[in-house]
Amino acid sequence: MWTLENLAAGTVLLGLVMYAVFGGADFGGGIWTALASGPRAREQRDGLFHAIGPVWETNHVWLIFVVVTLFTAFPKGFAALCTVLPAPLVIALIGINFRGAAFAFRHFGRQTGQHIPFMAGIFAVSSILTPFTFGMAMTATATGRIVFVNDSVQAGPWFWIGPFTLVGGLVGMAICAYLAPIYMTVRTAGELRKDYRLRGIIAGLVLGILTTVAIPVAMVDAPLFAGRLIASRATLFVVLAVIFGITTEILLLRCRFLLAQIAAAGTVTFTLTGFAAAMYPDLLIGQLSLAAAAAPPATLRAFFAVLVIGIIILAPSLLLLYRTFRGEPNPELPG
Amino acid sequence: MDNVLSARALMGISLGFHIIYATIGIGLPFMLMIAEWLSLRSGDELYHRLARSWIRPAGVLFAIGAVSGTILSFELGLLWPRFMAFSGPLIGLPFSMEGFAFFTEAIFLALYIYGEQRLSRRMLFFCTIILTIASAASAVFVISANAWMNTPTGFRLVNGALADVNPLNALANPAWAHEAVHGTLAAYVATGFAMAGVYAAALLRGRASDYNKRALTLALTVASVSLPLMLVSGDWAAYFVANHEKPKLAAMEAHFTTTRGAPLVIGGWPDPASGKVLYGIEVPKLLSVLAHRDPESLVEGLDAFTPGSTPDPRLVHPFFDLMVGSFSIMLVAALWFWWLRWRRREVPMDKWPLRALLFASPLGVIALESGWLVTEFGRQPWIARGHMRVAQGVTAQTGIGLMLFTFLLVYLALTAGLLRLLVWPATAGKGMQSTQEDRHVDP
Repeated sequence: MWTLENLAAGTVLLGLVMYAVFGGADFGGGIWTALASGPRAREQRDGLFHAIGPVWETNHVWLIFVVVTLFTAFPKGFAALCTVLPAPLVIALIGINFRGAAFAFRHFGRQTGQHIPFMAGIFAVSSILTPFTFGMAMTATATGRIVFVNDSVQAGPWFWIGPFTLVGGLVGMAICAYLAPIYMTVRTAGELRKDYRLRGIIAGLVLGILTTVAIPVAMVDAPLFAGRLIASRATLFVVLAVIFGITTEILLLRCRFLLAQIAAAGTVTFTLTGFAAAMYPDLLIGQLSLAAAAAPPATLRAFFAVLVIGIIILAPSLLLLYRTFRGEPNPELPG
Repeated sequence: MDNVLSARALMGISLGFHIIYATIGIGLPFMLMIAEWLSLRSGDELYHRLARSWIRPAGVLFAIGAVSGTILSFELGLLWPRFMAFSGPLIGLPFSMEGFAFFTEAIFLALYIYGEQRLSRRMLFFCTIILTIASAASAVFVISANAWMNTPTGFRLVNGALADVNPLNALANPAWAHEAVHGTLAAYVATGFAMAGVYAAALLRGRASDYNKRALTLALTVASVSLPLMLVSGDWAAYFVANHEKPKLAAMEAHFTTTRGAPLVIGGWPDPASGKVLYGIEVPKLLSVLAHRDPESLVEGLDAFTPGSTPDPRLVHPFFDLMVGSFSIMLVAALWFWWLRWRRREVPMDKWPLRALLFASPLGVIALESGWLVTEFGRQPWIARGHMRVAQGVTAQTGIGLMLFTFLLVYLALTAGLLRLLVWPATAGKGMQSTQEDRHVDP
C-alpha cells in the first residue's frame, strides 16, 4: 500500500484537491461574475473580483505543482496523457492565459479606467472554459479508450468527447461554481451574504444532480471505471462526498457559514478522492498502472525530499497569505 | 512545416515570450527590495513611492509570466513527450524545486502588492527580500534543466533504458553553475537597463524631477554592478563550452577548420559551403587565448566532428555577436553616464548620454534572448546532447502546425493587450481617475 508510487500518486491527488479547492473557487468566482444577477449584481461581482485578486496566482501554482509532479514521478504517464489529449489541454491553456491576463488587465487597468467591461467578459468566458475542459480531460482517462499498442499510446482524435466526459466537464464547472459563493458567505454580510448563500445552495444542488447522473452515464460509457466506483473502497469516498454535500446544504440553510465553507471543501475533496480511488491502481484505466508509469525509486525518493522541504517553506507562507487577506474582500480596506 | 520544425518553432516562441516576463520577474523584485530598504533606512518616503509605482507593471507582467509559464510546462509534454518520458526522472527534480520557489514568489508578491493597508512597512520590506531570493532561486533551478540538456549526467543507458538514475547528479550537472550565474545576472542587467530607459525618456521629455533622477540612478546602479560580473561569468561560460561543448564553441565563433593559434572572428556571415566567414573581422590568436588560455593552443573547428552532429553556425554565430555587441553598447552607455555623474556630482541632463541610455534600454533583454538562442541553437541537433536527438524527442501526434498557429494568436493577443495597458496610460498621462467608476458600469 505505502509504496513509493502510491505515495507519489497521493501527492498528485493532493495537488489536484488543492487546485480544485483553492484555484477552483477562483474559476467559480469568474463563473459567477458572468451569472451575477438581481439588484446587487454589481456588488456581487466586485466582491468576487476583490476576493480573487491577492490569491489567484498562488492558487494557480497548484496546477503547475500537479504537472511537475506528474512528469517527475510518472514521466511515462505524463507523456501518454499529453500525446492523446492535446486538444482539451490546449483549450484549457488558452482559458488559463486569457483568464489570468484579463484579470490582471482588468485589475491594473482599473487604475486608469480602461477596457473594463471587455476584460470582464473575457475573464468570465475563460473561467467557464478552463474547468470544463480540465474536467473532460480528467474523465477521459477513465473511459478506457486510451490504449497502448506496442508500447505506443493511441486514442481516436475525438475520443475525449463523449457522454461521460461531457458530464465530467460539467462537474468540473459545477465544483468551481459551488465553492466560490460559499466561500464568499464567510466574508460578506447582510443582503449580499444572502445572495451568495442562495447561489451556493443552488450550485450545491446542481453539483449533486450532476455527480449522481455521472454514475449511470459511466456504467454505459466508462464501464470499468463505474464498476470500480461502485464495488471498491471508492464507494466509501462517494458516500462521504454525499454526506458532506448534504451537510453543506443544511449548514447553508441554517446560516452556519464557516462550517459550511469547510464542509463544501470536504465535498469537493471526497468527490475527487472518489474519482482517484476508482482509478486506482491505474493512471490510465485498464492500460497503464501507476507502478508501470512511475519513475525509478531514486527519483521518487529525491522528489519526496524536495516535497518535504518545499512544504515546510510553503505552509507558513500560505497561512500568512490567507490570514492577511481574510475577512473583508477588498484588500484596500482593513480585514 | 513538418512536425519537428513546428514543435521547435512553438517551443522557441513560447520560451522567447516567457523569458521576457520571467526576466523582469527576477529583476524587479531586486529593485523593489533596494528601494524599500533605502526608504526604511533613510525614512525617505520617495523611495517607497517609487517602489509602489512599479506595482502596476509588476502585477501585470508577473501574471503573464505565470500563465505563459504554465503553457511551457504543458508544452514539455504536448510537444516532447518522448523526451519527457526519458528525462522526466532526471530533470523533474529541478522543476519541482522551481515549482516551490515559484509558489513562494506568487505568495509574497501578492502580499507586497495587495498588502499595503494590512501589513507594516517592515513586513512589506521582508516580502521583497523573500521575493528576491525566491525569484533568483527559481531561475537557478530552471536553468539546471536547460544545462542538463547540454551536459546530461546522473544516469546510464542500458539497452536504451535508464539505469543507475541519480537525480542529484543530474541536478548538479557540469554546465549548471556557469549557466545559472550568467543567466540570473543577465536578468538584473536586462531589467536595470529596461527601467533606466523609461526614466531616461522621462528626463529627456523635460521631467527633471528628483523622483525620475533617483529612479534612473537606482535602476542603472543595479545594471552597472551586474555588467562586469557578466563579463567574468561570460568568460567562465566560454571557457567551459570550449572544453566541454566543443561543437557549440565552433559554431559560436564560426570556426570551421581546426587550427592552432585560432583567430577570433567578429561579425561576418558564416558560409558552410566554403567553410569561410564572409566580411568578418579577425583578431589573431584571440580564440585560442579565450578557449584555452594559450595563444598557440589547438581549437577544434566544425570539421573535427561527425557531419550531422554539429550545430549550424549561421544560427549561432550571429546571435553570439548580437549578445556581445549589445553588452558592449550597454557598457559604453553606462560608463558615459557614470563618468558625467561623477564629474558633476549630479544626474547629467545632457541629451546625448540620456539618449544613449534610451537606445541601450532594450539591449539587456535582447542580449539575454540572444544568449539563450546561442545555447539552444548551439546544442543542435541534440535535445539531450549525445543521447537523444531533437527529432527523436518529438510527439507522434500530428497537427502541431495548428497548435503553433493557435498559441501564436494567444501570444499576439496578450502582447497587444499588454502594450495597450502599459504604454498608452503612460503617454496619455493621468486625469482618468475621476472617470474610472463611471466606466465600470457593467451591463
